[in-house]
Amino acid sequence: MVERAPDFVAVTPLGDFEPFTRGAGDGVGVNLSVQPARAMVQLFARNGKADDVAKNLKLEARPGQATICKNFVTFPLSSGQWLLVSNADDPEKFAPAIEKKISGIGYISEQSDARICIRVSGLKARDLMSRGCRLDLHESVISKGFCAQTQMAQVGVLIHQVDDAPIYDLYVYAGFAKPFWQWLIDISSQFGISAENKGE
Amino acid sequence: MHQIDCPWCGVRDETEFQYQGDATVIRPAPDASEETFFKYVYVRDNPKGWHTEWWHHLGGCRQWVKVVRHTVSHEIHATGRAQDKLPVPDEGPKS
Ligand SMILES: [Zn+2]
Repeated sequence: MVERAPDFVAVTPLGDFEPFTRGAGDGVGVNLSVQPARAMVQLFARNGKADDVAKNLKLEARPGQATICKNFVTFPLSSGQWLLVSNADDPEKFAPAIEKKISGIGYISEQSDARICIRVSGLKARDLMSRGCRLDLHESVISKGFCAQTQMAQVGVLIHQVDDAPIYDLYVYAGFAKPFWQWLIDISSQFGISAENKGE
Repeated sequence: MHQIDCPWCGVRDETEFQYQGDATVIRPAPDASEETFFKYVYVRDNPKGWHTEWWHHLGGCRQWVKVVRHTVSHEIHATGRAQDKLPVPDEGPKS
């Protein structure tokens, strides 16, 4: 008899934690929210074609600024390289649709499930970020739409300031998600935390 | 602690970079002697003064940044992309 392979169940690295609220002296200062999984692709322009790719997809090519497109958000990662994160509900259609638009001038790498997104908000969000991020995130320096790749707790992080409230989205590689999450909880504890899980 | 001006990302902390050594060595022709290749791979100067070197921006754009740094004072005179030719000062650092 042929032995059947076990059924694999798709899980996200932070799929198994229970939401919790743990107040500090002044109540809850930081909200941490694991965001639902989204389709992602990394986009590369062929040599000398970065401007054409940016034009075709109507994206910002300069560093430091996210572009909100119709069904996705774009982050410039490097010269001629972007990360595209879909907002649409049909993840399997995302990569082929992008590929079609840049045929001949660029290429893509499917990155869905490679990174998870943690949303940081609350009154103390900026204080929390200043604990681990070496970039100057002061409101006089950056504002809504800012994005950058950097490191926090020695883990590579793509930071996107979603709102001036401020709200930050932190994109972390899946393999580092668990220790990074633990570190976030640890350094947030003095502010009081509310943690929720919108991942599936 | 250095702050390195990455041509793509802007000024970033040294911790985001990885030092990758002398940026002036050039690969010999394929038919060069074994000794020439040995020198190319293993032998480096250890200058007291200005040094043109690679810093890999691993924690940012992942590009290789060329840096002219003084090995005594650590002053950074210039940074650029891999293909850039960077000026090296004749004299010691300002401070
Ligand atoms: Zn860089």
